Amino acid sequence: MDFTPVIEGFEVLLQPENLLFCLIGVVAGMAIGVLPGLGPAATIAILLPLTYSMDPIPSIIMLAGIFYGGIYGGTVTAVLLKLPGETASAITALEGYPLAQKGQGGKALGVGAVASFIGGTVSIVVLTLVAPVIAGFALEFGPPEYTALTLLGILLVATIGNGSKLKALAGAALGLLLATVGRDAFTGELRYTAGNLELTDGLQFVPIAMGVFGLAEILYNLERRRKSTSMPVATDRVLPSKATMKESAAPIGRGGVLGFLLGLLPGGGATVSAMASYGIEKRLNKGSTPFGKGAIQGVAGPETANNAAATASFIPLLTLGIPANATMAVMFSALLIQGITPGPQLVATDPDLFWSVINSMYLGNIVLLILAIPLIGVFVRILYVRSSILSPIIVLIVCIGAYTISNRIFEVMVVIVFGVLGYLMKKYGFDPAPLVLAFVLGSLLEDNFRRSLLMFDGDVTRITGHPIAMTLLGLFLLVVLIPILLKLAKARRPDLVGADQTTAGAGAKVPASVAAGTGTGPDTSASPDGDPQDHPPKGSEEAPDEGSGPGGPSRP
Amino acid sequence: MSWPSCSRRPLAVVAAGGLSLGLVACSGVTDGTAGGGGYPAESITLTVGQDAGGSTDLIARALAEGSQEALGVSMPVENQPGANGAIATQEVANQDPDGYELTLLNSTLITVTSQVVPEEEAVALDDLDVLMGLSRDDYIMVANADTGYATVDDVAADSGDLSYGTAGVGTGSQLAQLLLFEDAGIEGNEVPFDSGAPALTAVMGGQVDVATIQVGEAMPQIEAGTINPIVIFADERNQHLEDVPTAQEKGYEVPVAQYRAVAMPKGAPDEVRQTLVEGIEEITATEGYQQFNEENYLTPEEVSGEEVEQQWTELADQYEQSIEDNGIDLGGSGE
Repeated sequence: MDFTPVIEGFEVLLQPENLLFCLIGVVAGMAIGVLPGLGPAATIAILLPLTYSMDPIPSIIMLAGIFYGGIYGGTVTAVLLKLPGETASAITALEGYPLAQKGQGGKALGVGAVASFIGGTVSIVVLTLVAPVIAGFALEFGPPEYTALTLLGILLVATIGNGSKLKALAGAALGLLLATVGRDAFTGELRYTAGNLELTDGLQFVPIAMGVFGLAEILYNLERRRKSTSMPVATDRVLPSKATMKESAAPIGRGGVLGFLLGLLPGGGATVSAMASYGIEKRLNKGSTPFGKGAIQGVAGPETANNAAATASFIPLLTLGIPANATMAVMFSALLIQGITPGPQLVATDPDLFWSVINSMYLGNIVLLILAIPLIGVFVRILYVRSSILSPIIVLIVCIGAYTISNRIFEVMVVIVFGVLGYLMKKYGFDPAPLVLAFVLGSLLEDNFRRSLLMFDGDVTRITGHPIAMTLLGLFLLVVLIPILLKLAKARRPDLVGADQTTAGAGAKVPASVAAGTGTGPDTSASPDGDPQDHPPKGSEEAPDEGSGPGGPSRP
Repeated sequence: MSWPSCSRRPLAVVAAGGLSLGLVACSGVTDGTAGGGGYPAESITLTVGQDAGGSTDLIARALAEGSQEALGVSMPVENQPGANGAIATQEVANQDPDGYELTLLNSTLITVTSQVVPEEEAVALDDLDVLMGLSRDDYIMVANADTGYATVDDVAADSGDLSYGTAGVGTGSQLAQLLLFEDAGIEGNEVPFDSGAPALTAVMGGQVDVATIQVGEAMPQIEAGTINPIVIFADERNQHLEDVPTAQEKGYEVPVAQYRAVAMPKGAPDEVRQTLVEGIEEITATEGYQQFNEENYLTPEEVSGEEVEQQWTELADQYEQSIEDNGIDLGGSGE
């Protein structure tokens, strides 16, 4: 491979003028992205006009800045206010927000920035080296493959919640049900729309997430504040400490790999990658902080995965001309405006532009890290505003954010309805996360499953002709079966429990750790984390025995 | 974030940019000098029923760009996606016909979608006054290059063992494809996607054998040789793909295309209407706008509003007839 264009590209980029545009892009991206409800796609769309009259190269550089700034902006609101701008940052909120409540918002944002930087940069490096080679992978991923992947994702969601499994399941079921609202994409039939035209396209993710996470949180806090006044605790350091980075290193590594691979897929790859990373880290967690209470690993892993995936999704765009998600669709039109047609021919016909797109991403990512760290201190100060002042402002911004989704008051209503629902759920011990995540995966699963059936002419067995889908389904089965088998084995041999826990390790292979991690036992904190292959054979091969059902008491 | 099935949700996020995009792009409001009687005195909103970034939206923005010059005021584009544009269209139809609320119409909403949705949801041109036609966006059937298909006959040879992608239920893509298959006696499994882009991806990945999408979407891949153009569904050849035959040439009566036009609520004063028509004519005559059409493979159809209304009404009737004659099931509760 010839690296001359790569190097030459950098010479252009590093001119002071271009650096300035990158800086402006990152700042503007962060400033808009920090508004609740405005994810990277919306942020880029809003700031796009800034680039209209610019030359291609500075404008691409600025877009890269806006892209990374926008993604990080979403992280900031997810952590500090529990207001995610998109699915991926909804995962970050799960651990980031508890951290912020404990006064460690700076730590969460700092790790988030570092994790994002690493995830993004690793992805770009791989992109630089092998983009054309692996691009074809994206095309292999059709409806059957997606069906299998989503099934795996739903299994992870089922265990993502904290607290009662039954309540998590109830939330997930409601999420799946909500996903069916709207026009049936296959028959045109309207489902649960009650004759309301606004519902024909179904409910949207962002207002639901803003409602059950953000608004619900405000309502809940109002009530709690009356009972006991608790303000966020004092400030903390912004730069992640050595200990924090040590804790985060492994999750970042795993999240990066996961995010890159899943980010290549057109569609829900980025979302599933953040969820998968969270699921894995939760199972592998050995840290002092349990998940759900502000475990930094739950920020580091998903943030890396999210950013690695976001960057990896440039590969199908630049090499195949396929915008893999909403953000890429906006980037696609942004590049078109500059006269750049992303697609199979871009590298061949216009290598200079191709490499400047890639190189600007390096630059955008670095500038983001440099800018984010000092700004975190400013962002965190938001939390010290008295909630009697802050809450109304947030509610106002949430309403504006919801309105701008499609310029309709309807979405504001959705936020309010789901805000009340989220408040009630929280009050009665239902975790809203399974609802939101099942909602996202529900429509993915339904559409792709039905699409697969149509492709197969109704013959399910034809999925055997799809090796990737079969592999994923095999993993799914492992995830379901292994915990049951392990539990059966342990019910007979309680002495093996100890062995399980010592063999668990960060070096566990990803699929295996997912498998072992999704135990359905009633007591998750004590469920085995181990790589099943390390399990003593005599234990794992024990056949199910009478009197030791899955529900039986497994340990003291 | 999202694969097709999910995309309608997060994609709407894109639209969030829509409003602000328009506001940022053209926030300057100047004194109206172009028309008589003080119209237009303030900015004119152009509502689009699709997400920002799609081809309808791009056309709206290309038009809006010339507004300051031609009409003396800015024209912010506002995206109100939902129900294939029905929500936005009804919203605009209910506004005052004062000339400050326009909408960019997609013909298939009137001609095709109305065949699928329940009657109360169908959008008719009755409440709208079409100012002017803009352009035609052709549908093209494409096949994965590996299939070796080059003509409709090649496709027909594999009848029964085919799967084909469409851009969704109630779209021109679906209607064109179904009518052609019916006419040519081709049988296959219909796989609807949420829009053209994922249908294209599925063709490229070999998940479906053929798909019908819009020319602009297909062009880069056709040029790269990853997909084969089979047939274009217009009554004349596309100037950008002179080699590709039309369905009509091949003996199939399937003139399905996506036309776009500008409309306003019915009942506007004549001078307002006149000012707007002249303004739009001036914009469409500019070099920048024509170049935009060229770059996006759009064929100009800059005809009068009356002609548009007549043409679309005829098309709707014609489609209804064809659907009935051929016993085609587009799905949906309109049947």
